[in-house]
Amino acid sequence: MTTGPGPRRARRAEDRGRRGDRPTDRRFPIRAFGLRTRLMLAFLLVAAVSAGTTAALTYREARTALLKTAQDTAVSSFRDHVQQTAFALPVREEGIEEVLRDLARKGKPRPWVVFAEYGSLRASSGENPVSTVITPELRAAARANPRGSFERVVKDGVPYLTIAMPTVFRTSPDSLLPSGLVLYAVMRMTDEQVNVDALLVAARDGALPGLAVALIPGLIAARSVLRPVRDLRRAARSLGSGRLDTRIPVRGSDELADLASTFNESTGQLERSVRELREAEERARRFASDVSHELRTPLAGMLAVTEVLDEDADGLDADTARAVRLVSAETGKLAVLVEDLMEISRFDARAAELNVDEVDVGEAVRKTLQKRHWTDDRVRAELPGGIRARLDPRRFDVVIANLVGNALKHGGAPVTVTLRTEARSPGTTVLITEVTDGGPGIRPEALPHVFDRFYKADAARTRSAGSGLGLAITLENVKLHGGTISAGNRPGGGAVFTVDIPLHAEEAGG
Amino acid sequence: MRRARTRSRAAVVLAAAVPLLGACGIRATDVVEAGGPASVQAFLDLDSEMLLFFRAPDGGLSPVIRPAEPSAGFGDAYASGSDSAYTAGPVPTEKVVTTLLAGPDEEDRAAGLGTALPAVRPGGSVAVEPSPDGGVSTRLPLALKDLDSTALRQLTCTIAYNRDADGQVLVRLEGRDGASHSDTCGLARGAPGNVPGAS
Repeated sequence: MTTGPGPRRARRAEDRGRRGDRPTDRRFPIRAFGLRTRLMLAFLLVAAVSAGTTAALTYREARTALLKTAQDTAVSSFRDHVQQTAFALPVREEGIEEVLRDLARKGKPRPWVVFAEYGSLRASSGENPVSTVITPELRAAARANPRGSFERVVKDGVPYLTIAMPTVFRTSPDSLLPSGLVLYAVMRMTDEQVNVDALLVAARDGALPGLAVALIPGLIAARSVLRPVRDLRRAARSLGSGRLDTRIPVRGSDELADLASTFNESTGQLERSVRELREAEERARRFASDVSHELRTPLAGMLAVTEVLDEDADGLDADTARAVRLVSAETGKLAVLVEDLMEISRFDARAAELNVDEVDVGEAVRKTLQKRHWTDDRVRAELPGGIRARLDPRRFDVVIANLVGNALKHGGAPVTVTLRTEARSPGTTVLITEVTDGGPGIRPEALPHVFDRFYKADAARTRSAGSGLGLAITLENVKLHGGTISAGNRPGGGAVFTVDIPLHAEEAGG
Repeated sequence: MRRARTRSRAAVVLAAAVPLLGACGIRATDVVEAGGPASVQAFLDLDSEMLLFFRAPDGGLSPVIRPAEPSAGFGDAYASGSDSAYTAGPVPTEKVVTTLLAGPDEEDRAAGLGTALPAVRPGGSVAVEPSPDGGVSTRLPLALKDLDSTALRQLTCTIAYNRDADGQVLVRLEGRDGASHSDTCGLARGAPGNVPGAS
């Protein structure tokens, strides 16, 4: 039984706070899909799309132009060369290969294989009289319409340009007649492929540095967004730790700046409200303190008068004597209440001072009990000698007297006061004072409130001898010593109050 | 909701990537028309040579050039030029039609050319007379109704190019059976020429 409900509650609240803080600590530096990553990805995506599209369009245009030039050159050069050739009709098989080889040599931009088709005659400048590359579609087009045409064919990964050139001959100066002879040229486009591949490499090499460059504005944008957010987080944390005058610098006029100014306004309003609350509380305290002060002087006079009246009460008739004694007793209680109120006001105003002195704790407790005449067997004391501590003797006296008095009043005899020391964490020793009673104990629902001001554990007993401030003053005194106090029930029945005060002085003996 | 958004985002990326990936290298194309045909030299001299039309293996008509003097070799006739036997004008149409009806010679057959016309008994008479409308009318020693369209076109074109170097003559054919057929050749450049199977 070392901690009470009060401190435990406080610690739980602290834990909550710490648990709540932890995720915010991690939020910024490491986050797989944090703002920074997302902004960078967005920039990269935009850059990739634009660079890729530009590169692709450029590449396509360049490739089309390159291929078009090659094709047009090939088709017109093939037509020119064919036009310089003479054929007999019908075309004879002998000698035609010679003609075709001659045509093949003149190929432009580079040599091609020339095929001829006439009737059932098939001949070529190469080894096979019939090409495997020329498609039926090209043949059909050349047969159907006496016009030159070409087709690009990819066979086994090699691109070929195939040109079909139907021939006509002149029957009169302005009449042409299809001769039935169709010449084909087949040209490998390896050089064009090399050029197109080079274009592709160039487009890719142009796009990749673009992506790298896009990272820089991405980083800048991420920074410009993240900095206000970081400021906001820092400010919110500072606000949470009680610095209500925290403000954020408002930069620019964007949404984040709006957020910052809204935050500043809210903080300002919060600060104002808190200040008003504090002032109201301060006024209330000062009022209580003033009232007690003002009451003290007339009460002193009244106490002197009631003492005299008390002495003379025996000479009065019975009714009057009873009335006089009642007035006297109530005046005494009022005086105690006023004293306690003034004491608690001093604590509230943080005006209470600790006048420490090195004392023998056992001796101090014994003196306290003697002063209150609690020397009969109602109060037992287990006081080991030689425990010395640096304490304020007056305040320690108040603590012991309040606890024992409270135990006698609300618990029951026998009341036991025990003293001992205990080593807690390395280097700190704690003086533990326990006051137990033989009463029924404290009801569990009352336990959290026993140190509250004017709290009555027993609702029926609204009028008691105490001021209702005794345990509150005890708590304040213990706190002033840097200690803790807790209330509980013993397993065997009876309340137990435990006071832990750090022991600053070394033990003299034992 | 989130998944749908991710999916649409992926679709956008894919749409951007597909043209990039699909555009690499040299791709095949369809047949692209590129300019006119090649005009070759065939050394046709209509004064001394005949232009006969035979049937190509694909069904179209194929013109062949035959010297008008069968006794002279091709090279001799060619070498002596237009100063040989027929200096007076074109080869007579009757002779040209008779030669066409005689069918392809060895050279023509070597190139895979044939004829759609039936064999005609030698000595059958061919009569040609110009018609009043500028065309030409030819009486043939065979029955027209037995002929297919290729045979009719062989006759029409052969006669048309004999009468006119441009071939733009209306040819009227009359058969022994009394049937007749009128047409122009229509093989000249730009017209639907030797289309396989065209009639």
